[in-house]
Order: sequence, then C-alpha cells, then structure tokens
Amino acid sequence: MSPVSVCMHRGADYDVRMKLFLFAMVPAFAVVLAAPQGSDSPVRTGGAEPDRIAGKSLPATLVQDVVVPVPGEVFIVLEKLNAPNWRALLRAGEARAASDRARTALVLGTVIADGFVAVQAQDREEVKRIGRLVLTLSGAIGVRKSVVARSNSIIEAADAQRWPVVRSELDRALQDVQAAMIELHDEQLAQLVSLGGWLRGTEVLTTVVGGAYSPDGAELLHQPALIEFFQGRLADMDPRLKANPLVNEISGKLDEIRPIITPENGRRISREDVERLRAIASGLLRSILEKTA
Amino acid sequence: MNAWIPRQIGRAVWLFATVTLGPMTALGTVDDAISYALEAATKYIREGYTVREDQSGGDLAVGERRAIRYQLFKGNEYWFWGATDVEGAKFHLRVVDAKGNALESERWERGVAAGIRVLPPTTGTYYVVIEVLRSPEERTGWAVVYGFR
Repeated sequence: MSPVSVCMHRGADYDVRMKLFLFAMVPAFAVVLAAPQGSDSPVRTGGAEPDRIAGKSLPATLVQDVVVPVPGEVFIVLEKLNAPNWRALLRAGEARAASDRARTALVLGTVIADGFVAVQAQDREEVKRIGRLVLTLSGAIGVRKSVVARSNSIIEAADAQRWPVVRSELDRALQDVQAAMIELHDEQLAQLVSLGGWLRGTEVLTTVVGGAYSPDGAELLHQPALIEFFQGRLADMDPRLKANPLVNEISGKLDEIRPIITPENGRRISREDVERLRAIASGLLRSILEKTA
Repeated sequence: MNAWIPRQIGRAVWLFATVTLGPMTALGTVDDAISYALEAATKYIREGYTVREDQSGGDLAVGERRAIRYQLFKGNEYWFWGATDVEGAKFHLRVVDAKGNALESERWERGVAAGIRVLPPTTGTYYVVIEVLRSPEERTGWAVVYGFR
C-alpha cells in the first residue's frame, strides 16, 4: 500500500484508504462502464515510491509527510524558557471571513493559533471569543456543522478555566475542520488552515525569542520538515489556487524562510535570523488579515 | 450493445465491492488500533500530557516497518503510544533521529500496546518507527498517537 500523502486527522495508510473510498468510486464506475468489452482497467492508487530513512541501522518505509505540531506544543516550551507575557501577544482586532475561500482558510488557521495564545494567557473571555470566531469562519467555508459541538466545548472549558481541555479541544477543532474540508474535496484549503496556524505560531515564537534572544530559544525555529511540507503542499496545489495572489505571496516568502530555519553545517539561528523571520511572518499575517479585519 | 451492458454492470458491481468493502474492513481495524493507543494514553492525561488528535495508522505484514515523521521541540517531554488490533501480534516501536540513532528514556509494552517516552536532545525532525515482529494475521492493523507536556 502506498504511504499517505497527507497526515492529518488520521494519517498514514488510513488516509489513503479513505481517499480511495471517497474518490475511487465515481471514476471507477466511469472507467468500467466506458471501457470496451474485455479491456483491462488498471486502477491507479497514486503516489510515488516511498522515501526511506537515511539511517543505516533502521531502514523503513517512510510516511511521506510530517505530523504538523499544534502551536501549543512550542508555546509550552516558550513558557518554560521565557515565561512570556502572553496577554501582550494576543492579537487586537476581529478577523472576519473573506470572499476568497483560500484567504478565509488561512485566517481560520491563524485564529485557532490565537486560541493557543489565549490559553497560555489564561484569558477566558478571549478563548470564548475565539471559540465563536472559529465557528463563524468555519461556516464561511462550509464546514460549520462539523465544529459546532467543538466550539461549544471550547467555550465551556474556557468558562471552567480547564486550560488543558481547551488546548485539546482547539486541536480537535482543527482536525474536525480539516476532515470536513477533505470530505468536501477541499483538501488543499485544509492545508491552508494548517499553514495559517503555522505562520501565526511562527510570528509569536519569533516575537518571544527575538525579545529575549537565547540560542535555546532560537533553536525552536529549527523546523526543516515543516517548511518542506508546506512548500510541497503549495507546489502541488491546482493552478487556480497557485494563481491566488495571497497564496503566491506566501509561496515566495516560504522560499525566503527555508534557508533560515534549515541551517546547515551546524550554523545556529542568529538573533538577526529571528528578526528576519519575525518580519516575514508578520508581513504575511498582515497580508492574510488585511481584507478581513 | 444490449449484451454488453449487463456484463459491464456486473464488472461495476464487482469493482464497487472491491473498492468499498476492502477499505471499510481495514478502516475498522485501524479504528480499533487507534482506540487501544488512545486508551494507553489516558492515564498520561492526568499527568499533564496533551494528547494530539493527529493519529497515524495503517496495516503491515510481518517484517514490514513504517516510519512517521515528527517535528519535536527540545524542552518538551513526549510520549508515543502504539497499538495493534490483533491479539497475539507483537510489534516494536522505536523513535530515531534523522541519522537513525535510537532515542528513548523510558518504554513499556503491555498486551496490544506499547509506549515510549522521549526527551528530544535538539529541536528538529524525528521518526517513530513501527515494525510488526509476528502476527497470526496476514495484515496487522496499527496506530500511533502522541502527547506532550
């Protein structure tokens, strides 16, 4: 079986089977009914040959993509390192849905990331506002139904100040939204939700690390597999999405980010690197939100 | 033409069964493996771990290995929990860095589940490798979930 190309709700082979189930039926029928009598109808399952781990001692078939961490994973390390002023990192202004669904998907990702910031700040009202906003934005891209219960859970847990539960519910909201989008054949938009979250997480990370630079803090930006993953996803998008000016802008900026967060030859990520990353991430966030706030 | 249509419909029905029922059977087994892995994770939630909703799973023949790539952050503690849905199957779970060096500070194996605790020495890319060592089934469903604190 081919390894998975997207590792999201339930990754790996599970995802491939689900895709086969959802997508193969109609074309399979079309092929069968249209095929001349007695001809073979090879069914393509897609996917290139899998990579292999470079290590000599443990070769294994590699699930091609990376499990994208939620922003909360790195925020917890920041808390241990710097104990940042999380309230100061909360974003002012209300993000809104745009007429462009790609932009709305990116906005949704940034808002879920904001939810993790609000959890770190233990700001009950902000978490509740974000829970409601997740629902509104999900509605704008046609997946409201799948996150109603999750949004309510976020609000209830925030009211009870059960922060670990809020963190889990935000993660579940992200997975639910993406799974619903995949069901609607909007897998590429689902990737933009992840990308939006990663960009907002990177903006927060660089702001904190840049404010009190330390090599340990800067090392948190060492994320080569993630940048490779997002670049690959954007490169594989259909031409219509690639031509979207916002997606195009992000794609160009990821090319600038890659060498910074993939330092070679033991080079450390410097204070200047962190500042440059922060400027790029903030610029992209402004572009994403400019027509929505 | 009239004789052609029923034969094509027959082929369509056969293909429908192959395409739909095959995956549905496997989905069931992966779901069970995910449930067992999440069950293994439950007690760690009480210890402050956040268990991710991003689960990986599939099925493997004996001797096959799968590797899942993760971005881990130095400073976090991670637990990876693996499970299979096949009673009597034995699998091995390990975490390695990009050079294939094994990495673990604690491990356990109980019944159909296993867990590994990892404290990443650096921030970067790591791989969780699962291998089915023996199984009474031709294909063995597996799942891996993880948590952090």
